[in-house]
Amino acid sequence: MLDILKELLFSSGVVSLTGGNLVMWLVSFVLLYLAIKKQYEPLLLLPIAFGILIVNLPLTYLMEPEHGLVWFFYHYGIEMDIIPPLIFLGLGAMIDFGPLIANPKTMLLGAGAQAGLYVTFFAAVLFGFDLQEAGAIAIIGGADGPTTIYLTSKLAPHLLGATAVSAYAYMALVPIIQPPMMKLLTTEKERKIVMTKLRPVSKLQKVCFPIITAMTIMLVVPPAAPLISMLMLGNLFKESGVVERLSKSASNELMNIVTIFLGLSVGATMTAGTFLSPKVLFIFFLGLFAFIVSTGAGLIMAKIMNLFLKDKINPLIGAAGVSAVPMAARCVHKVGSEANRRNYLLMYAMGPNVAGVIGTVVAAAILLQNLG
Amino acid sequence: MTDWSKVFEVFSSGIIGVFLVMFLLQILTQLSTRVIDFVENGKNGGAPEAVPVPKSSADPAKD
Repeated sequence: MLDILKELLFSSGVVSLTGGNLVMWLVSFVLLYLAIKKQYEPLLLLPIAFGILIVNLPLTYLMEPEHGLVWFFYHYGIEMDIIPPLIFLGLGAMIDFGPLIANPKTMLLGAGAQAGLYVTFFAAVLFGFDLQEAGAIAIIGGADGPTTIYLTSKLAPHLLGATAVSAYAYMALVPIIQPPMMKLLTTEKERKIVMTKLRPVSKLQKVCFPIITAMTIMLVVPPAAPLISMLMLGNLFKESGVVERLSKSASNELMNIVTIFLGLSVGATMTAGTFLSPKVLFIFFLGLFAFIVSTGAGLIMAKIMNLFLKDKINPLIGAAGVSAVPMAARCVHKVGSEANRRNYLLMYAMGPNVAGVIGTVVAAAILLQNLG
Repeated sequence: MTDWSKVFEVFSSGIIGVFLVMFLLQILTQLSTRVIDFVENGKNGGAPEAVPVPKSSADPAKD
């Protein structure tokens, strides 16, 4: 009887536990707390946290190549680039490009915010990361989870967990990170600027936009094809109005299903061996730096545009050029309404906000073209 | 050993590339909307549907 109990104990995971496993449990519990109690990006952080927990239970072999259950999710979903484009399909079916079509010059704000991403690339190289790792870290500044995961899985798969968690954590912290930068880089007078009314947008214009955008970007930057094609297909589902079932499926059921596999797979890459290194701390620091610089670059771009525009734009909307949709736009609206209670900036900020999604994909594709 | 020439190449080509692509997209969007406006207004003689500016704090999109 005692022998059986002893054998059971020695064949269990308990004796194989390491200090690293325990630290990773702690990381998992912190993320579970943030997801459940604080509701910081719970749709992603919850499965990520659970993924971390289960992969750090010894002898489960969930990430064992060719055998582990979660390895199959990771291999077929992320390594083979299936899940991030599917997330973009759902995102496209949710996004309204109307404010961007109504005010296309805000497209440049979506580009301006990406400048921060390249500054971070430079900074990451200075910190000692190799070029591929620096590219994966820089994309955090784009504030786009699926694009971060897509690019990291191509350039530096060993950093996937850290960059993904960093991107989603900072996206959840937009209301804390962005307002100080907005106030620092704009004057009270600028924040009070009331923008001219958006021009009307017809249904045909909304239908043509995803087709033109997909063709343009894929012709000029082919590596953007997997993400941009799915984003624009989802949007075409929505705007065409003839495939309501597909549009709803893409934005609800499909999106929810792939979110589960995405979160679990990303969390499962975070074993003690890959996550507990000083590099990860630098990644979190550089991710925050990327986010701050991208916000600043968007604001400065808006101020530069105002030097040439007859109808001035409120420079706050430049901060929405990072692609955290719609949190960054909401944040712009909040800071704008603090300066001028009658100023309603949400719809104006949605233009650069959705342009930021496109801009981040283009920036990621260019990084991939240069470093992949 | 860091290949700094590659770093500068990625840095500069990235910034310029994103701006060029987004600028091209802006021009094409402006052009296509004008053509569609012209065709639709010529055909219907009416203004297209306006982008609503909400009065409430309802979310225009969800992530």
